[in-house]
Amino acid sequence: MKIRNRGKGEKIEAQMAPMIDVVFQLLIFFMLTLKIVEPEGDFNINMPIGAPSTQTSEEINLPDIKVRLISNDTGQLVDLQLGRQSLGNGQEAFERLNHKIEQVIGGANNPLTKDMEVEIDADYNLHYSYIIEAISKCRGRLGPPPNYDLIPYVEKIKFAAPRPPS
Amino acid sequence: MRIESKAEQANEVDMTPMIDIVFQLIAFFMVITNFEQTQADERVKLPKDALAKPPTVKREFPLTINVGFERDTKGNKIDPEAWVFFGDEQFRVEQAGRKLKDEQEYFKTIGTDPKEVTVEIRADAEVPTGQVQELIKMSQESGFEKFALRATQESN
Repeated sequence: MKIRNRGKGEKIEAQMAPMIDVVFQLLIFFMLTLKIVEPEGDFNINMPIGAPSTQTSEEINLPDIKVRLISNDTGQLVDLQLGRQSLGNGQEAFERLNHKIEQVIGGANNPLTKDMEVEIDADYNLHYSYIIEAISKCRGRLGPPPNYDLIPYVEKIKFAAPRPPS
Repeated sequence: MRIESKAEQANEVDMTPMIDIVFQLIAFFMVITNFEQTQADERVKLPKDALAKPPTVKREFPLTINVGFERDTKGNKIDPEAWVFFGDEQFRVEQAGRKLKDEQEYFKTIGTDPKEVTVEIRADAEVPTGQVQELIKMSQESGFEKFALRATQESN
């Protein structure tokens, strides 16, 4: 048997060029299939169908907070109302909503108002983004850095019946 | 001039570190690339919100509904009416009721109560709210009771 022994140890003499080509192919493949996804979050909502939910006693004690959003034909927000009070439109209106909600529930993390519900009543054509903003402002606010933990206001959000399209 | 030794040097590169580097790169990109099928339709441009935090506990039974618009490459709407994108199909919001009934049947056949299913609604920022409400109503008629509205997380 002829055992080839070079004495100083065998070295694999591979060509570099194909190796580099394969490396580039793999790199390009993964660069093309890479998809940078923005993280998404959720807002849970309550949708009582009509049958009373388990917290009927609380619902009788604490009235719903009614938020009304009025839109124009193109779906832009014309007016944001809390109860009977108009808060205007634009970003300031939502900030006012955030402050007013805090007042209505008597401060964040208030055990007395823990089960209060917000009912959102919006025009049919209103752009969905305003609803998300309204829900966000009712849900709470972000705490101080570095964690920016959520300071919760109202946990339960529901929709009123859809208004007919204008 | 010892040209020969230079030529020899080119052939004497040790392969092992090179193979290691290649595997490192492959592993890196495989981790970065998200191959998970999360049913997130690219066409839906979700509204942004600072409070939208991803759920800390993974949902057991999610059902994702995408509602959006057909847009061209510049982002303008080709069709002013919204479409529901579901898998490979797309249909109008009014016709979603049929599909939701199908999903209800599907969940029953795999032994899941539709009441345990969370319907995740991924709606474009410009979808009329009334249509989202109609979707919710149709889902309730098909036995779904839990809902979550999705938004992209706005970074601070």
